[in-house]
Amino acid sequence: MTLTLYPSQIFGFLRPNGAGKTTTIRMIVGLIKPTEGSVTICGYSVAHDFVKALSNIGCIIESPDMYKYLTGMENLLQFAAMDKTITQQRIKDVVEMMGLQHRINDRASTYSLGMRQRLGIAQAIMSRPKLLILDEPTNGLDPAGMTEFRNLIRKLAYEEGMTVFVSSHLLMEIQQMCDVVSIIKQGSVIKTANVQDILHDDQIEWQLNNPEKAIALLREHWAIEAVHLKKNTISANITQHPLAKINECFIREGLALTYCSAKQSTLEDLFLDLTEGDEIV
Amino acid sequence: MLKKSMWYTILTIASVGFIVLAIGFYQAIIVTTAVNPQPTSKAAVPQTTPNSTKLPSKNANSFKVLLLGDSIAKGTGDENSKGFAGYLPDYFKNSTAKDILVENAGIDGLESIGLLEQLQSQKLDKTLADSDFILISIGGNDVRRILSLNDLAKEDQFKVRLDSYLANIKQTMKSLRKANPNSIVIFLGLYNPYEKANSVEDIRLLNTWNYDTQQLVEQDGKGIFIPTSDLLKFNLGRYISKDGLHPNSAGYQAISNRISKSVETIIAGS
Amino acid sequence: MFKLIENEVIKMISKKRLMFVFAILIVLITIFAYGQNQSLARTKAQLSQRMGVTATDDWRKLADQQIIDIKNRLDSPYMDEKSKSSSRVRMEQLQYNLDNNINPLEQSAAKFTTIFMQQAIFLFLPLLIIMLSSDMVSGESSSGTIKLLLVRNVPRWRILLSKYLALLILEVLVVFVSFVLAAIVSGFFFGFGGWFAPVATGFKVLAGQLDSTGVRNVPQWQYSLMVYSLAFFVAFVVGSISFMISVLVKSTASSIGIIMSTLVAGNFISFFLADWKITRYLFMVNLRLTDYLSGSFQPIEGMNMLFSVTVLLGWAIASMIISFVYFTKQDILV
Repeated sequence: MTLTLYPSQIFGFLRPNGAGKTTTIRMIVGLIKPTEGSVTICGYSVAHDFVKALSNIGCIIESPDMYKYLTGMENLLQFAAMDKTITQQRIKDVVEMMGLQHRINDRASTYSLGMRQRLGIAQAIMSRPKLLILDEPTNGLDPAGMTEFRNLIRKLAYEEGMTVFVSSHLLMEIQQMCDVVSIIKQGSVIKTANVQDILHDDQIEWQLNNPEKAIALLREHWAIEAVHLKKNTISANITQHPLAKINECFIREGLALTYCSAKQSTLEDLFLDLTEGDEIV
Repeated sequence: MLKKSMWYTILTIASVGFIVLAIGFYQAIIVTTAVNPQPTSKAAVPQTTPNSTKLPSKNANSFKVLLLGDSIAKGTGDENSKGFAGYLPDYFKNSTAKDILVENAGIDGLESIGLLEQLQSQKLDKTLADSDFILISIGGNDVRRILSLNDLAKEDQFKVRLDSYLANIKQTMKSLRKANPNSIVIFLGLYNPYEKANSVEDIRLLNTWNYDTQQLVEQDGKGIFIPTSDLLKFNLGRYISKDGLHPNSAGYQAISNRISKSVETIIAGS
Repeated sequence: MFKLIENEVIKMISKKRLMFVFAILIVLITIFAYGQNQSLARTKAQLSQRMGVTATDDWRKLADQQIIDIKNRLDSPYMDEKSKSSSRVRMEQLQYNLDNNINPLEQSAAKFTTIFMQQAIFLFLPLLIIMLSSDMVSGESSSGTIKLLLVRNVPRWRILLSKYLALLILEVLVVFVSFVLAAIVSGFFFGFGGWFAPVATGFKVLAGQLDSTGVRNVPQWQYSLMVYSLAFFVAFVVGSISFMISVLVKSTASSIGIIMSTLVAGNFISFFLADWKITRYLFMVNLRLTDYLSGSFQPIEGMNMLFSVTVLLGWAIASMIISFVYFTKQDILV
């Protein structure tokens, strides 16, 4: 399996649950020795050049474990002590970037999961790694936490220029966070693509008072076959036709348009297509 | 930064401590393993030549008594510093007109193994051969070591001690008989010098000890076991010296009296 | 490396485990000193009851008497050269007591401090060390923080070595603190003196028998130093072994359980020592190193200070090798 990652990019690693995804990540960071093959990071083999290879990586493996009996700052100092390149200033910057400055001198055991997640990222990015590896980063986060977390990741990738490698089984998460996604099945990459390319927003839904008339209008003017979904809702694939014009026509014909939206086809659909629906949870 | 300063304190203590402990460890090893310079010159001096004033003949006009064993044989505790060496001749005189010569070879704190070594060193062989009576008091120091143990350990240790003691005595008798097959061996039993400190269990152990000793000693046709525990049991105040362990003058006299009565006929008959 | 060791020590301080160990030490030493105080009073009462008040108060007379006795013994032509040296040592001690007006029945802080470690060396001290060492690696495994340590640009052996050295530092600290605490706490009970009183040592085992030819007196402070140094050696060995178990086992609780039961089992196994030769190669039965100093051991063929130290050292080295090999090779799955 070969993965190519570019700087300043958020890369999604999507794989059905329980299919050795965590093992792959652990091999990359050297926690597990691969039975065959090798892992090379920035030209350094993890097996033979562990120190140089790992100098380029920051990571959180599964839950952000911390020394609960130490304060946030002490935790960071512990890890900072292991790398000479990290200065006091850098620690301060990272704390501010993660928005932890008010609570950094409290014990880690008093932190919420979201804060621990941020502390986890703080320790991972202190050494300015080229590659930030996040394994199941949003496990257990509430929706607000997830949003916050996504913003953080984007900031790191686009402002700090890191490559972020996100591994997850949560399709929504990858879809919302990543630029590029690789879908893995049975040990090989079956598709790598830009998330934007995969998702089209050409399926449109209207809510209006006279669906039959609207369907007729669509067929008449643009030769579009619309479907009557619910009582007042119709749906159609409008491809290259301008939505504005269609809506203008509806209103001109006296239809009362209450709601109109573009329904995206999701990564989930794609994933189900590609993996033929098996193994997904 | 409290922790930081604690760390430096700990580091300082640890570094200094490590050096000091390393020195101590080295000393401990040296002390327990190094061969100490032996005062060999001293050992070479022949100190064990028997008393030359003694009459060379065995059956002339004298009786010779050899005192062997621990402090009780030696006479420790007697405020008049006489002990058996002083009193036995007094009592023996009642039965015979011969001179009584006593050789005191008792050593404070001697254990059965020490006695055996003493005999096996053969330094005493000549004295042994000359003796008509050999008084042995041994075993008290073997027992004393286990007194302070708790009951369970005591029982175990007692067996171990008794066995090695009996083995030592057996060997002692053997080498004694090799040097002198004819003398009368008088073996003193153990007594309990403590009034209250002892439980029923302790008394049982003491009796076992004495009984086994008696069995062994009297296998020898010319051996006699003289019990002392009955004599002292109700007379501790009268017979035990101020150190709380050894007989006092009166105690030595009482035991001497008993011994002389036991061997009266032998003395008179010879 | 220095920074890594600092990390480990700071973690240990923050975990409060170290403080806990010290608290246990204070409580135990106080209880032990109080107990000694009580039994001392009882012994005195018993003695005076048995031998009259004069015997306990008038110890000088008794000592004088004993010295004369020993002199007589030394002059005796039947004395072995062997037993002479121990008599000579005993006489020196009595003379010192007389010269410095020390009642041999009285306890002193120096004596107590030494006795405390002699009693603690085979179970209590190892226990304290285990409390610190068994958590060093398995604690990180059970909390998952081991992952954070091992994905740094620091090779694994350095991580483990820093932990091991931190443990070594803490071992010195525990031995040092127990010495200081014992000396201070017992000082309140028995007075702070006694550091220059002579103590007999230098026993050897020759051919399965206690040989006291080389017995001589050393000042109490030097004797204490030797006792505590041996204690540190024991701490180092037990620390290494439980460190290994901490590497092999993922949970702190089972790591403590394993090494504790091994230690306790050692006390049973020592019963078979004389008959069952293989047991003397177990580390647990070789922990009573101080007995070789005081000559208070049951001589057993083939066992002496060098033997025990070698066996213990062998265990420590083997444990270290196993720890490092396993730690650098293992897959982290927590």
